[in-house]
Amino acid sequence: MSVLHDILLPLPVTEMLARGLLFAAFALHLLFVLMMLGTGILAFAYFTRAWWAGELGGAGAPTAASELRWDKRVLRTFLVHKSMAVVLGVGPLLLIQVVFSIPFFTALTIFAPLWLLIILFLIAASLSFDALGHKAHVHRHVHLAIGLFAIVVLLAIPGFFAAVLVSAENPDRWLSILRGRFAFDRPLLIHWSLRYLHVLGAAIVFASAFHYFFTAKNDSARRQSLVRWMLGGLLAQVAIGIGLFLSLLREPTFSGYVYLFVGGVLAAALIGLAAFHSGGVPMSPRFVVPGLVVLLVSMLLVRQGFQDRAFGALIPQVRQNAEEYQKKLDSYTEQAVKDYRGHIQIVYDNGTTIYARSCSFCHGTEGQGDGPDAHYLSVPPENLAAVRSTKAYLYLKISQGVPGSGMPYFSYFSPPKLDSLIAYLAQTWGVLAEPSPVTAPVSKADMEAAVQEYQRTCAQCHGRDGRSLTDVSKDLRPQPPDFTAFSLQPQWSFNVITNGYRGTAMPGYGSLPEGVRWGLVKVVQEKRMGGSAATRSDAGTDSQ
Amino acid sequence: MEFPYFQFPWLGDGLVIGVNAVIHVFISHGVSIGLVSMVVLAEYVGWRRGEAGWDSFAKAAIKPTVIIITSLGAMTGVGIWFTTSAMVPSGIGSMLRVFFWPWFIEWVVFAMEVVVLVTYYFTWDAWSGPRKRRHVYLGGSYMVLAGLSALIITGILGFMLTSDGWPWDRSFWGAFFNPTFLPQLAWRLSEALVMGAAFVMIFLLFWHRDLALQREALRLYATILAGAAVPMAASGWWWFHVVPSSFKTHAVFAFQMMTGLRETPWFWAGHVVLVGLVALAVAAGWLRSGVMAKLLILPATFGVLVFAAEYEWVREFIRGPYLMPGYMYANTVLLSEHELFRQEGMLKHAYWYNRLAQTPSLEEEGAFLFAQNCGTCHTIGGRNDIRARFRGKPEDAIFVILGRTEQMIPFMPAFSGTDEERTKLARFITQLQRQAVHLEAPARYTRIPGQEQQ
Repeated sequence: MSVLHDILLPLPVTEMLARGLLFAAFALHLLFVLMMLGTGILAFAYFTRAWWAGELGGAGAPTAASELRWDKRVLRTFLVHKSMAVVLGVGPLLLIQVVFSIPFFTALTIFAPLWLLIILFLIAASLSFDALGHKAHVHRHVHLAIGLFAIVVLLAIPGFFAAVLVSAENPDRWLSILRGRFAFDRPLLIHWSLRYLHVLGAAIVFASAFHYFFTAKNDSARRQSLVRWMLGGLLAQVAIGIGLFLSLLREPTFSGYVYLFVGGVLAAALIGLAAFHSGGVPMSPRFVVPGLVVLLVSMLLVRQGFQDRAFGALIPQVRQNAEEYQKKLDSYTEQAVKDYRGHIQIVYDNGTTIYARSCSFCHGTEGQGDGPDAHYLSVPPENLAAVRSTKAYLYLKISQGVPGSGMPYFSYFSPPKLDSLIAYLAQTWGVLAEPSPVTAPVSKADMEAAVQEYQRTCAQCHGRDGRSLTDVSKDLRPQPPDFTAFSLQPQWSFNVITNGYRGTAMPGYGSLPEGVRWGLVKVVQEKRMGGSAATRSDAGTDSQ
Repeated sequence: MEFPYFQFPWLGDGLVIGVNAVIHVFISHGVSIGLVSMVVLAEYVGWRRGEAGWDSFAKAAIKPTVIIITSLGAMTGVGIWFTTSAMVPSGIGSMLRVFFWPWFIEWVVFAMEVVVLVTYYFTWDAWSGPRKRRHVYLGGSYMVLAGLSALIITGILGFMLTSDGWPWDRSFWGAFFNPTFLPQLAWRLSEALVMGAAFVMIFLLFWHRDLALQREALRLYATILAGAAVPMAASGWWWFHVVPSSFKTHAVFAFQMMTGLRETPWFWAGHVVLVGLVALAVAAGWLRSGVMAKLLILPATFGVLVFAAEYEWVREFIRGPYLMPGYMYANTVLLSEHELFRQEGMLKHAYWYNRLAQTPSLEEEGAFLFAQNCGTCHTIGGRNDIRARFRGKPEDAIFVILGRTEQMIPFMPAFSGTDEERTKLARFITQLQRQAVHLEAPARYTRIPGQEQQ
């Protein structure tokens, strides 16, 4: 039975360093993500409120046109938050894929469709908000439509990420998620939704604080509104946070409780401050900014503690499994590298190489259709040494293949390469030469019988003209050959007429007198030579 | 095998990864490096000559440029990670372990690039007059950072394809400074300038109203386009020259796979036409003919984009059967695993298959073997349909061909598994052709137990 093992190549960085970098990079990334999300939410909320309050002009331009409309002023910073959030996200992505390869890749392959949708959603949300933040005004209905689209798409993204992270942190549920049509069971669903809401709440808190200090500046009405958002956000965070804590599937560590306590105290302090100052007294960034940063970090540390617990047993186990698997593979590595070295020295640019690599395992090194794999095939490979054909016909058969037989198509070789392959076949076995004359004695009577036999029996499939395109044969797979372009050396042709061609519709005619069969060889050969059977049959009598 | 399987339905994995990556190349090279350089140049010219027209053109051009970079460019860049990690997780996971530090440094450079670009954009008005010099220098420092990130990413990209050293000694520097490093870097930088010049000409011709400036700037940008096209062509040739011969023969396959380009004369004729269009657009710009330039610049830009996409297509294709040279096949089976699977079987070592398939049936075994061996490139019913590839082939022939793919088709990996497994896969494909099997979850190539209960 197989075991789950880590990626086999060694870790390029010590685990401690990677974890530290991951934490720092993720905190930075998240900070901008929160401001991006919150800015989107606030801008949309302010737009609808302005509409509600009748502050939008008829079309959507502000009634006081002296300055940029408030929701657009909020949105102006979206570009920065978004750009930083995305670019800073690359670091944690890189780090988590290196240190927690198994849980992270497993979770995102489980939710691969959502994971891929994130890209499209990011582009759509980003362009829509960039459009709305533009100075130019669109009609308020259009603005509302774009805004609705943008906000829905934007807010879906953290939901997708949360789904991936929740499943990454619960390895014991992977199988049940996969078996349950990629749906979470109820405890996971509750945990996921609270976690998602916790992100949105944090986004409102951080974005309202940011716009309080950066966008509103000394506009006290705007500031009051933003403090109310912050207060509401913080209160919601406490409520959601308690629920989130209860929905956890694991016990926190002792340090987890410490961080929770620190976060709780800070949240309470900020709530108090916001409630106190919503009366109109401005807040000082000297406490609020560091307070929020420490709050974020302490909450992330709580999260980290849970994640470490979740991965605790798994990571050492998959690493050990990887070591054992690698040991097993070590005995094959030398051979594999040797094969590789050999393989990259092969250049498929000449007929000799192409024949040796792509043809000989069926047609054989001597071209007799007796390669090492020939015995598997129900339709035996052609004896190339006996083929006498034209370049155009061979080119067609090689590039298109022969349906119904094992002969594949080789159109992935360019025309010059196929030319060189045919040149190799011609040089080695004379496939483009004329067939040797029939030396076996054929009496005039046998020849006449052969001509009649051809018309009566063979022509049904091969046609009177030898092109093998009759009503009977045109749907045969493999298709019988076109005798005007393809023939075989007499002895081989005789064998086919006598014994048939295994795996095809061609039966054997061994019951016919030998002379007649040789006569048929001549009849067929003459189609290729462009002569008529009648004139050539005279030549047959002459030889007697 | 260590991750649940996912294949992008219908389009297949390679095309999705490729399309995302090519769009990213257009933007990361053409806009992030090229177009921004043209804007900085315009600002510089305006500043040196004290001409406000150049500056207002540069300022007008920077806004859409920044929006494109920070939305489409950044998202498709992250998209490369997203697409590869969802579709070839063990491939990207292994690559990361070799190239962690360059990627980490690249990330820091990226972040700095974004900070500088956003600052450059937002300080245009504030840093004017005596502070203009600082603003122009900021633009210049962005160009340095963008060039640096191109340098780092080129080291990583080159390795994936044509490393000679890494397979033997597993040394980082051998992997990074692989033979194609320098020519590829030269190609990317000159390509960026060509694309940037083409893009800025489009902006100049279709969005900018200042006709006097248009005439003057047209000649400058046409000259840059022509001047960068020469090293671009030369480095393209140089790059192709240093690619090992065994990979090089795959280059033509890249186009042979496209039905319309199978006939070589058409292929070259198309190139000549595109080069001609670019040359004509350059001439129109040089002659300051606004009307002619307007007519020609869009087809010429199309030509430039075709060349850029073509290069990436060839580059991706010629690595042939390997994702990591000497280590991993394109289907993420390790070369050493291939030997193991031949002796012990692939199914036995497939973690998720064994977890999910409770009562193995031919459908499940065949579908899994197909997914792991072929699914990176082939789909069922979509692009590069396996049924079309084996059309008209009896089961015995499919069995033989499956066993010889690596030998017969220069760019294909080998089938990894026992003969018994090869028989199962051949039978599965035969059944597919007869439409006798039906996959419940085509993107997963496994019947998810639980779905059966419906």
